[in-house]
Amino acid sequence: MSYWAGVWKRLRHHKLAVAGFAVFVALVLASAFVPLISPYGIEDMDLESLFAPPSRAHPFGTDELGHDVFVRIMYGGRISLFVGIAAATSSALLGTAIGLVSGFAGGWVDSLLMRFTDMMLSVPTIPVLLIGAMFLGSGLTNIIVILTIFGWMSTARLVRGVTLSLREQPFVEAARAAGAGTLRILVRHMLPNLIPIVIVAATLGVSSAILAESALSYLGLGIQPPTPSWGNMLQRAMDYILGAGGDWGQPWWLTVFPGLFILLAVLSVNFMGDGLRDAIDPRLVLGSQAGSGASAADERGGSTIPQAADAAGKAD
Amino acid sequence: MAAYIVRRVAGAIPLLLLISAIVFSLIALAPGDPLLTMRMENPRAVSPEAIARLRAYYHLDDPLPVRYLYWLKSVLQGDWGYSSTYKVPVKDLVVSRMPNTLLLTVSAWLLGLLVALPIGIISAARKYSIFDYAVTFAAFLALSMPPVWFGFLTIMLFAVQLKWLPIGGVAELTHGTAGALLVDRIRHLILPMTVLGLVQVAYWVRYVRTSLLEVLGMDYIRTAKAKGLGEQGVLLKHALRNALIPVLTIAALDIPYFFGGAVVVETIFSWPGMGRLMYQAVIGSDYNLALCCLMLLAVLTIASNLVADVLYAVVDPRVSYS
Repeated sequence: MSYWAGVWKRLRHHKLAVAGFAVFVALVLASAFVPLISPYGIEDMDLESLFAPPSRAHPFGTDELGHDVFVRIMYGGRISLFVGIAAATSSALLGTAIGLVSGFAGGWVDSLLMRFTDMMLSVPTIPVLLIGAMFLGSGLTNIIVILTIFGWMSTARLVRGVTLSLREQPFVEAARAAGAGTLRILVRHMLPNLIPIVIVAATLGVSSAILAESALSYLGLGIQPPTPSWGNMLQRAMDYILGAGGDWGQPWWLTVFPGLFILLAVLSVNFMGDGLRDAIDPRLVLGSQAGSGASAADERGGSTIPQAADAAGKAD
Repeated sequence: MAAYIVRRVAGAIPLLLLISAIVFSLIALAPGDPLLTMRMENPRAVSPEAIARLRAYYHLDDPLPVRYLYWLKSVLQGDWGYSSTYKVPVKDLVVSRMPNTLLLTVSAWLLGLLVALPIGIISAARKYSIFDYAVTFAAFLALSMPPVWFGFLTIMLFAVQLKWLPIGGVAELTHGTAGALLVDRIRHLILPMTVLGLVQVAYWVRYVRTSLLEVLGMDYIRTAKAKGLGEQGVLLKHALRNALIPVLTIAALDIPYFFGGAVVVETIFSWPGMGRLMYQAVIGSDYNLALCCLMLLAVLTIASNLVADVLYAVVDPRVSYS
């Protein structure tokens, strides 16, 4: 049985991961194909029912212009999920590159890069994102760039740790003896062994990117209306709720549903990443030193299954 | 020990200078020109000549390193300049907002520890019990919760619907008995404190649990149990003391995260503190104010790293601080 077949087998038995995967795929598909499944378009206004509570015609109600909230959330999902996936992928790539160089080069390059990584990690995220957004401005590409610049560190640390132990493996020595150059060793011999942990890091990165996008958009520095994103829908909704100042008759659905979808997306990705981490189990490929670069920061990943968390803790 | 602390503090100074240079350049290079904004707001009062005078006065046309040195000089003399949005000295503004943020962050931090410690300990003591699974799941949920949304939900439920607690702000009463004023402050504090503390509680619960389980697996614990000491005594007297060392360190290291989270929480709850001030400074390209807020944050981050290290050395005799 190949390594990936084993991963797949273990993953299939992780019920929460399978459920998370199903929910996430459903969210992606629903937001991709929303024009096909909903009778309303994104700009369609139902002027008969502004601020209409959830009903049969509008399951999640309507907003101040009579837009169907469900449709807006699905279109918002296109943006939020895309930002999450794109930012996580590029952070993972950047982190892998930095971690690989750091771990393989060693010496002053390693200490310089790791000091820099530690510095970036110790700075609180939101103020730094604020500065980044101020600098680059808002907009889809800029958000992804900002989230990448401030999102690569944990992957870099992880990759460095594994690279350090891989570097000492006999197969690397064998490759070198056979005359392989540094680049070839990095790309052909190290990288394939790093893929599993990078996939886990990237998966968990999707959830933190979605959360960061929602916070940035709430602060008005993310995706700008009228393009809906989950974050900016929340922001606009709260203006109406606090503006009304009345009772529970307020458009609570404008807040509850977009947030629920953020929670759903983040939770499903976290379950998925958690299951993947357990299924991939780097110790099977790399030996027991695998997590040597791990520290308190990695502990933050957490695990839904206490036993799995303990096993992961012991590997560190 | 004293020498160690002195050395660490001395080592922090060059780091602080480096950070201040980076932050200063970032802000100086950022798009937006407050003087131009001033002119646009009030074209008749602010003539082009006045702008030119102000540019010269603030050394805005000098090269960046020179500007940095001018800035550093005045900051060292205690002059942080004027806020372009509030039209008052930045220092006064920050001094007036600082207590609110300290109240919010310190109480959220304390609440977080007070909640996380017992839950984490019970979770570890009853490993793989229903309680343990429930806690793990709840922590997962809390980590996946967008803080903004959680804040909104608490406002909608407890402030708007039930009307138990105020929607935002730090206080309503301006005068009254000391007791009434205190109750008023606490009522305003409850929601923002809870929202700010939630995510950290989730992290810390997991951390306490892992740390305690690790210690519980050690030989000296088995020895203590083999001697016939009670389960609870071993847990609370022998295991907990060692397990808490890394927890304390993490709790100290996480302090800056509370100030970062305060940006969002203070904005949600209209809490007049440093976080909201920093946000407004960035939005309104209020350079002096943004610089001051960021420098305070940098000092705080470095200080909490320092405190964590010193704390670690103090509570753990195995750490040599030479």
